Amino acid sequence: MTSEESTEATAPTATLDGTIWAEVDRALSGITATAERGVLDVIVHVPPAEIVRALKALKADATLNFDYLRSLTAVDNEDEGIDVVYHLYSTTAKHNLTVKATLPTDNLHIDTATTVWRAANWLERETAEMFGVRFTGHPDPRTLLMPEDMDDTFPLRKDHPLAEIEILQGEGMGYSDEEDQ
Amino acid sequence: MVTESAHEFETQDLLLNVGPQHPSTHGVFRMVMQVDGEVVRDIIPYIGYLHRGAEKLCETMDYRQGIGFMDRTEYLAAMNAELSYVMAVEKLAELEVPDRAQWIRMILVELNRLASHLMFMGAFGIDVGVFGTPFIYAWREREAIIDLFEEISGDRMMYAYLRPGGLAWDVPTNFVARCREVLTAVNQGIADFDGLLTKNEIFVARTQGIGYISAADAIDFGMSGPSIRASGVPLDVRREEPYLKYNEIKWDVITETDGDVYARYLCRLGEMRESVKIVEQCLEQLQPGAIMPEKMPRMLRTPPGEVYIRTEAPRGEFGVYMVSKGGNRPYRLKVRSACLSNLQALKHMSVGQYVADAIIVLGSIDIVLSEVDR
Amino acid sequence: MPEGLFGLNPWLDGLIRLLLIVGLMTVVAMGLIYIERKVLGRFHARVGPQRTGPFGLLQSVADALKLIGKEDLRPRNADPWTFEFGPYMVFIPIFMGFVVQPFMAGFGVRVLDLGILYFVAVSSVSIVGWVMAGWGSDNRYAMIGGMRAAAQAISYELPFVLSLLSVSMLAGTLNINEIVLAQWQVPNIVWQPLAFVIFFIAALAELNRPPFDIPVGESEVVGGPFVEYSGIRWSMFFLGEYASLFIMSVLISALFLGGYEWPFGTQLGIGFQLLLTVVKAAILIFLIIWVRASVPRLRIDQLMGYAWKILLPLSLVQVLVNGFVLVYHLPLPVLTVAGVGGIVLLSWLTERAIRKPRAARASAIALQSEAAS
Repeated sequence: MTSEESTEATAPTATLDGTIWAEVDRALSGITATAERGVLDVIVHVPPAEIVRALKALKADATLNFDYLRSLTAVDNEDEGIDVVYHLYSTTAKHNLTVKATLPTDNLHIDTATTVWRAANWLERETAEMFGVRFTGHPDPRTLLMPEDMDDTFPLRKDHPLAEIEILQGEGMGYSDEEDQ
Repeated sequence: MVTESAHEFETQDLLLNVGPQHPSTHGVFRMVMQVDGEVVRDIIPYIGYLHRGAEKLCETMDYRQGIGFMDRTEYLAAMNAELSYVMAVEKLAELEVPDRAQWIRMILVELNRLASHLMFMGAFGIDVGVFGTPFIYAWREREAIIDLFEEISGDRMMYAYLRPGGLAWDVPTNFVARCREVLTAVNQGIADFDGLLTKNEIFVARTQGIGYISAADAIDFGMSGPSIRASGVPLDVRREEPYLKYNEIKWDVITETDGDVYARYLCRLGEMRESVKIVEQCLEQLQPGAIMPEKMPRMLRTPPGEVYIRTEAPRGEFGVYMVSKGGNRPYRLKVRSACLSNLQALKHMSVGQYVADAIIVLGSIDIVLSEVDR
Repeated sequence: MPEGLFGLNPWLDGLIRLLLIVGLMTVVAMGLIYIERKVLGRFHARVGPQRTGPFGLLQSVADALKLIGKEDLRPRNADPWTFEFGPYMVFIPIFMGFVVQPFMAGFGVRVLDLGILYFVAVSSVSIVGWVMAGWGSDNRYAMIGGMRAAAQAISYELPFVLSLLSVSMLAGTLNINEIVLAQWQVPNIVWQPLAFVIFFIAALAELNRPPFDIPVGESEVVGGPFVEYSGIRWSMFFLGEYASLFIMSVLISALFLGGYEWPFGTQLGIGFQLLLTVVKAAILIFLIIWVRASVPRLRIDQLMGYAWKILLPLSLVQVLVNGFVLVYHLPLPVLTVAGVGGIVLLSWLTERAIRKPRAARASAIALQSEAAS
């Protein structure tokens, strides 16, 4: 899987003992999910095509019960695609999980999670306008923070220049490449 | 009968644009209300007027420079915002924070919670329609806290005082005495508010039963902070996943069960009392010692990795999702704004109620627009 | 006696009286603005105006000069006539109400036999100005504010007039001066405590003072009908507001507190009478400012409900009790007892109305789920 290659394989599956991975693995039966151990939470990689099914399974599972969506965002890994990251929490069982789906750069479509939590609505709108990720089936696909007509520029992508904007604004701050490492 | 007459006289709902310049939108929030007489039928919120791209800017700044952006992201509770950020860096760089620094941090974030809740009390008083009195009472006590912060950090709003690893410098020698002074003032302020608003008949009549949200809905909308605790969900990161030293002292999670505007107000009032208790206990625990780790690199670099740090800010869960790919700056920084998630539920809470109620529902979730828009 | 005030040609006399009203009311309103700011400042734990003149006394003058110097803007889509005449329609009726105000025995601008009727008739005209301002501004906030003002004025006019009626029943006249003179022993508040409370509440609503300031509610409709006004036209509203505050306080003090009479002697000099009136009015003004500093604003449905469901029936009962007592020549202390009982009933009804919303939460939930999308 591309997701497996893209992340640092720092944590082999053996170190997942004592985490909720066993439960998650059981809940996600039938979905090709892989896991690694993050600094705080377990990170689960799920193929984008199956993301909503996985999230629904995680929410519906009686012991896991991930009923609370903390955060939904994306990370632009340049050539390796864009990760859509879901931070889940269970208000009853009090555990956390990070779910990631890696989208290839040439196909930035993923199903909307608004059918799972209403909290995903604005977060997905923000992710969509900032990264160009298209959430299919989103009930309200307008821009959230950006102007209405700014739908072809994705500011949080790595290829979106920051210094250039400042030059355009008339205050060239002149970051040179050397300073920028 | 009613439906027939509706056919005969075609009526049209009034579209009322509230904001971005409006006295009670708490900044540059805008919503278009569809109003039928005085009853709100629909609300379309528009945000983004204060979007500055803090996340993107942080990607170009090194870890210490990013602290300043956190202040500006959540300017009413800057210490809490800084805390999430520096904790994220510390987790990635595996820094151990000395005890003294942790206690001081705890005092500061709780004092800032007090300042922020005082601000809420004042602004909410104005939303409900008391002419200025609670606002200026709140300002008076908040001023004491802000003055203390100014003595510590040199700035009144944008402190930039916390550092990855500890604090920028130690607190002044009279810090404990000054804190106690401030707490006395704040205790008085809380009593004043209690006397002025809590039992006021009109206040009660205006706020009870308004803006109701059930526990299940609140969880579904991802609300956090006092807004969700007022619905009876004891969701408090300080208790669920203790950071700093929250598990070493005694304090209670304040919850209310009614889920209305009044419950949210009571929740904040109770939290202010708890914060005072927490600060008092912290002051007793404060021992002399180092405020930065022994081995602090001159240039802070982190190994690759990612972390999602959440702390309990006054408005709810302030999360910082930080991805590092090595080097001295974050690869990606995402700020999880509590206000953004709380604001999503605004429509759910205020549809079907009066225009005046929609205003106080908005006031009761206590938004800070710079945090919503980042 | 009133005709011979200046002993001049009637037209000249009328002109002087007119100038007297306008001049006096402007000065009084400006003084009240200063007093309100200073008193509110104290309530707010701050100092209030202090930089303009000694103790900030010239603050109102400075404000007036600033307002006169401002551009008189009119929105392009505003209806020119209604927009420009709105402020005058608010301002003139209020000043006309000044005509019947009793300051000293036999020395009013005019002493009318139907003084109360005149006052009620004239003062209710100003609501037309509010609606004109709200409609003519072509602003939705202004329109909502104007509609709210109309609804509120119409609702509170009834308890207002009925409590006036109970006072005049007691005195047997509609002449305000005679009502004052009839209180030379005991002020009416002793016999009519309930009518006083209802009248005070209704007067707050008529004045659009907190907690009944919903037509101008700063946090909701941003000043309501005034939102598009600036400069001199806006200051007309402001002047009218404070002038009516003064007039209403003088009226309450005349009707319920004995005006220029007091129980310790009737042979009072003109200066002393004036002092008594002003002191009584000042106490009421202070009370109204105090209320402003402490209570939140009501909501429109609560406001209407309070007028129609609580104040109106109680004031009707008060009129009935008065009639009963007067017709059967019962001793007057019966009225006091009935009035105090009425106040207890009023507080109980108010308390009950407040406890209702929490019980009504279920209906709010039903509304939400109905409107949920």
